[in-house]
Amino acid sequence: MKAGLDCSSLTLCHPTEGVGALSFSLPPGSAMVVVGRNGTGKSTLLKTLAGLLPPKAGSVNLGGASVAAMRPRQRARKLAFVSSTPPRGTALTVRDVMELALEAGGHPVEASRVEQAMQSGGVQRWAQMPLDTLSDGMAQRVMLARAAAQSDTLILLDEPTAFLDVVGRQEVMADVGQWREAGKTVVLATHDLDAVHESGWADRWMVMRPPSEGGVLLPEEAFTSGAAKALLMGKD
Amino acid sequence: MKAHWSLPLLGAAVMALFGIGLFWGPAHLEWSEEWAALQGRGGETAGTIMWQLRLPRLVTATLSGAALGLAGLLMQTFFRNPLAGPGVLGVSSGATLGVALVALGGASIGSVSGTVEMGPQVVGALIGGGAVMALLGLVMGRFRSRTALLIFGLMVGYLAGALVTVLQAGAEAGALQAFVHWGMGSFAHAGWASCTIMLCALTPAIFWSWKASNSLDMWTMGALTAKTMGVDERALSWSALGTAGILAALVTAWCGPVAFLGLATPHLVRAAGVRGRHSTMLWPVVLTGATVALLADLVVRLAGVPLNAVLSLVGAPVVLMLIVGRGRILSKLRAQ
Repeated sequence: MKAGLDCSSLTLCHPTEGVGALSFSLPPGSAMVVVGRNGTGKSTLLKTLAGLLPPKAGSVNLGGASVAAMRPRQRARKLAFVSSTPPRGTALTVRDVMELALEAGGHPVEASRVEQAMQSGGVQRWAQMPLDTLSDGMAQRVMLARAAAQSDTLILLDEPTAFLDVVGRQEVMADVGQWREAGKTVVLATHDLDAVHESGWADRWMVMRPPSEGGVLLPEEAFTSGAAKALLMGKD
Repeated sequence: MKAHWSLPLLGAAVMALFGIGLFWGPAHLEWSEEWAALQGRGGETAGTIMWQLRLPRLVTATLSGAALGLAGLLMQTFFRNPLAGPGVLGVSSGATLGVALVALGGASIGSVSGTVEMGPQVVGALIGGGAVMALLGLVMGRFRSRTALLIFGLMVGYLAGALVTVLQAGAEAGALQAFVHWGMGSFAHAGWASCTIMLCALTPAIFWSWKASNSLDMWTMGALTAKTMGVDERALSWSALGTAGILAALVTAWCGPVAFLGLATPHLVRAAGVRGRHSTMLWPVVLTGATVALLADLVVRLAGVPLNAVLSLVGAPVVLMLIVGRGRILSKLRAQ
């Protein structure tokens, strides 16, 4: 039984304290989309879920264990995180990155497993290329493949499609769908509502708005990207 | 050049330069005399030259080159900045200030040609370098970015430089000359005790660097990514900065502020085609540092010019040529 994500009365730290207490559970094999205007706390939420920022109050549990109490190596075996900006200034090749991802996730670093991870992520054609020689979009594809290779449990994506073209965005959304089917829990913060709508895998939504505009909305019932867009535009 | 080819070549270069340095010198000893002295036989003069002058000097050059190369690699990895070197933390500047306080404040800096195992300038350098490291430890938790740390090192360097200038302005001519001479760098001042101390610092530094190579690789992908891949930021920062700082302080204590080696050695290794994982670069960098230091020391002995002049005059253009040459090669490859 894989671990699900459980947040209880979670209050984010500064500068998004006004968001209020958040409580939600995501079972294994589910995906949540987090939307909201800039500065409403999406990245803060994801970093708190990843254990990189301490919550002001409440708890984040993964498979029943507190993320905040985990040691860095233990946490890396449970979750992976992809930021909006691909890394620059590294001499690592794509193969190096995938080997490190398997190592971080506590998986055996075998050649066959590295090949399989690169193939699953669609990056095997760049295997010997240093990350720095790839375009931003290609490097971001590598970071997504890295996250998938690292974690079998939870993947947190903070606006990962910002550097990708239309095809790249569709590929990422297809990847998220596959991860979800493989039993991984995914939390995706994005502005790319149309791509999410086309992919059709979103199980839960979180709409982050300033308290003055109604605060955070965590609809339990069926929700659509269109409804999210209307809320963000203030047409609710 | 692949890493597995570079190691035997660099190992052979270190041994060859060490051998040349050992059996060549201005004393005009016969080979048989030198060989006998090494075996503990022969005349007292030959024994002193081999065991008290040449061997400690060569071992110091080997260890110092390796230590500065490793410190440079760690700093360039940690700061993700190719211009970083052991000097960026301000430790060398602190050590220089410590020596200036001792030497220009009245104590004798020691004979340039003799060995000064634990002379006043060594104590001054260790206290000065150690003080900067302690200061760094106190304030490091307050820095939000690596850039702030770089600026801290620069500011410490400026402050130390200003204080050294003040001390120089009021110093006696003899003390000033000795201090300026120390600042030119030399591998000739250390003895067996200092070699042992340097070896005791370098061995665990190499071991830690090897053990932490995966974490250092992850760090090059950015702090955020590294932390979610299991890297303990605080532990890595302390270990990397502490290791580089200790190595830089020890080398400065016995050899003076040695220029160029720490910054340039990782670039020489990369220019030779060895790049990528930290574990791939570690031994080539250590051996290249030792090779360059031994080669520079040989030139110092041949030409009679200061060490830092040799390292900068010969080394800097070589690195520039390698970088420009590599740029051309990369441009051609991209054009194809």
